[in-house]
Amino acid sequence: MLKMHNVRKSYRTDTIETHALRDFSLEVNEGEFVSVTGPSGSGKTTFLNIAGLLETPTGGQYLLDGQDVSDLNDRDRSRLRNEKIGFIFQGFNLIPDLDLFDNIDVPLRYRGFNAKERKKRIEKVLEQVGLSARARHLPAQLSGGQQQRVAIARALAGEPRFLLADEPTGNLDSLMARQVMELLEFINEWGTTIVMVTHDPDLARRAHRNIQIVDGQVADLRLQSALGEAVTA
Amino acid sequence: MLELRPILSALWRHKISALLIAVQLGLTLAIVGNATVVIQERIERIARPTGVAVTDIVTAQFMPIAKNYDRLEAFRLDLDMIRQLPGVAAATVSRAPLTGGGSGTGLYTAPNQEIGATGGAQFWGDEHLIDALGMKLVAGRAFTPNDITEASFSSGWRPNMAIVTQQLADKLFANGEALGQSIYFSGEDNPIEIVGIVERNLGPWPNSHNAGSTVFFPAVMDTQWFDYVVRAEPGQREAVAKLLEEKLAERDPQRVVAVNLLEDKLDRYYAGDNTMIQVLSGVVSMLTFIVALGIVGLTVFWITQRQKQIGVRRALGASRSAISRYFLLENLMIATTGIVLGTAAAQIFNRFLASEFEQPALPLSTTAICALILFGISLAAALVPALRAANISPAMATRSV
Repeated sequence: MLKMHNVRKSYRTDTIETHALRDFSLEVNEGEFVSVTGPSGSGKTTFLNIAGLLETPTGGQYLLDGQDVSDLNDRDRSRLRNEKIGFIFQGFNLIPDLDLFDNIDVPLRYRGFNAKERKKRIEKVLEQVGLSARARHLPAQLSGGQQQRVAIARALAGEPRFLLADEPTGNLDSLMARQVMELLEFINEWGTTIVMVTHDPDLARRAHRNIQIVDGQVADLRLQSALGEAVTA
Repeated sequence: MLELRPILSALWRHKISALLIAVQLGLTLAIVGNATVVIQERIERIARPTGVAVTDIVTAQFMPIAKNYDRLEAFRLDLDMIRQLPGVAAATVSRAPLTGGGSGTGLYTAPNQEIGATGGAQFWGDEHLIDALGMKLVAGRAFTPNDITEASFSSGWRPNMAIVTQQLADKLFANGEALGQSIYFSGEDNPIEIVGIVERNLGPWPNSHNAGSTVFFPAVMDTQWFDYVVRAEPGQREAVAKLLEEKLAERDPQRVVAVNLLEDKLDRYYAGDNTMIQVLSGVVSMLTFIVALGIVGLTVFWITQRQKQIGVRRALGASRSAISRYFLLENLMIATTGIVLGTAAAQIFNRFLASEFEQPALPLSTTAICALILFGISLAAALVPALRAANISPAMATRSV
C-alpha cells in the first residue's frame, strides 16, 4: 500500500539546512494498522506529510498503491489525496463556518460527486459515527470527541483505502480517546489501511505494528507483542 | 465544482463584514452611476455642434476714450480694414455667440400677441454675418447690403426681415413652412419675414434650455455691446488675432482694444462644466479605488484568518485553482449583492437628483456598464489575494499553530 525507499526531506534556510527525514524506508501493507511514535522533532509529522502527499520529498522514492508519487505535480497530488487518502487531524480541523453535513461534503465536492451521491455518502458516514441527528449543527456545538468523530466521518466519506491519523486522540479525554480508537479499529477491520502518529504508548500498542522514528529515521520495527516491553522499559 | 452553498453558508457567519463591503460597493455604484450620467451629459453638452466655426473665429472689441465717439463710422472703417488683412476669410460686427453674453426676445407667429411667445436669442449683423460666423444656410438667402440698416440701440428701430435657426423655425412653425412666413414681437403688428434659415447656432448661452433657438436681424447697431467677429482662414487664427490687435490700435490709437479667440471664450463658458467633469471623475476614481482597497483588505484578512482552513481544504483534495476559485466566488457573491443593492440605490438616488436638481435620468444601460466595471474591479482586487491563497501549503493542515 505504502512503500518509501530512502526518502529524504530537508528544509533549507539562509543559514542552516535541517534534515527532517534521512534515508527513510518503510513499507505498510494493505489492511495494516500501523502506529508511528517518536520524540518531538523526530520527523513524525514530516513523514505524515509526505505519506499524505502534503509535502514532496527532497529525494528517494515513494510508492502509493504501486504508483510512484515522488514527483507528481500539484494537481495530480491533490487528486490522489482526495481519492485515496483520508486524514484525521489532532485538532479535528473541521471548518467552523460549515455545519457537519457541509464539512463532510468538502472532500466529496472536490471529488466531483453529484449532489445525490454526496448526500447518500454523508448520511451513511454520519450514521456510522452516530451523529446523524447533528447533521446541521456547527462544530462549535459539539464536544471534542464528537468533533473528532465528524472528522473521521469526513475522512471516511470518500471511502479512502488509506487513512492517516495525526494524534487523533491528542485533544481528547481518555474516555473519548478510547471511543475514537475503537472507531479506528472498526474501520481498519473493514479493510482500510491506517497509519496513526501518536504519543500515547497505550494507543500505539493497540496497532498491529509500531514504528519508532528517531532523528528522521525508522529506529525500530517490531510486532505489537514486542512493543509493550519497549514502551514500558 | 462550484461551492455556492458552502460559501453562502460561510458568508452568512461573517455577514457583517461581507455586508459592509457589499454596501460600500452598492453605494459606490449608486454614486458612480449618477456621477457618470452627469459627466456623460456634460461631455455631450460640450461636444454639441455649435453651428459656428469656433476654432477659426477671432473676436475684437474696443472702448473709445473720447466722448461722442462715432461708433458707426469706426465700424465701417475698421471692417474695411479688417477684411483686407491677410488670413481673414470674413468679418462682421455683431455679438460673438457662445460667450455667455447677449440678448433674447419673444417671438409670435401672429400680430398683437402677448402670451405664449417662443423664446430665442437675438443677434444683429450685416450681410457678412453668416459667412463670418461660418454658419450653414439651409434655406432661403443671406442678408444683402440693401437689407442692412444702421441704427441706434435706443431708436426703436424694428426689422422687417430675419434669418432664424432651423430649431427656432421648427418651434415657430411646426409644419416646416417657416421660410417666407412672418413673425412678430410681443404686442406688435410689424411683420418680420423669415428670409433665410441657418442649420444651427447655439446662441449666447449654450447651456440654456433655449440654446439653439436664435434669430438674426439685418442691422449694425450703435451699441457698446458689440464684437467684431472675424473668421480666419484655417490655421491662421493666431496670426489674424495678432494682426487685428496691431491694426485696430494703429488705425485709431484713441481707444482700448481687446482681441480674443472664440474658442477661449467658449472654454471659459464651459469652465464650470469642465470642472464638474474633473471633480466628478476624481470622485468616481477615488471611490472605486477605495472600494477596491476594501475588497483587497477584506480578502487578505479572510485569507490570513483562514490559512489553516485553506491548508485543510488542500489536504482534503482541493487543487490550487479550487482555492482561488473559492475566494473569487466568495468575492463575486459579495459583489453581486453590492451591485443589486447599488442598482436600486442608484435609481432611488437618481430620482431624488432628478426631482431636486434637474439631473438627467440614469439609464439602466449606464448602470449596467458601471456595474460591470465595478464587478471587474472587484474581481481584479480579489484576484491577487486569491492567487496567493492558492499557494498555501496543504501541510498547513498538520501544523499545530
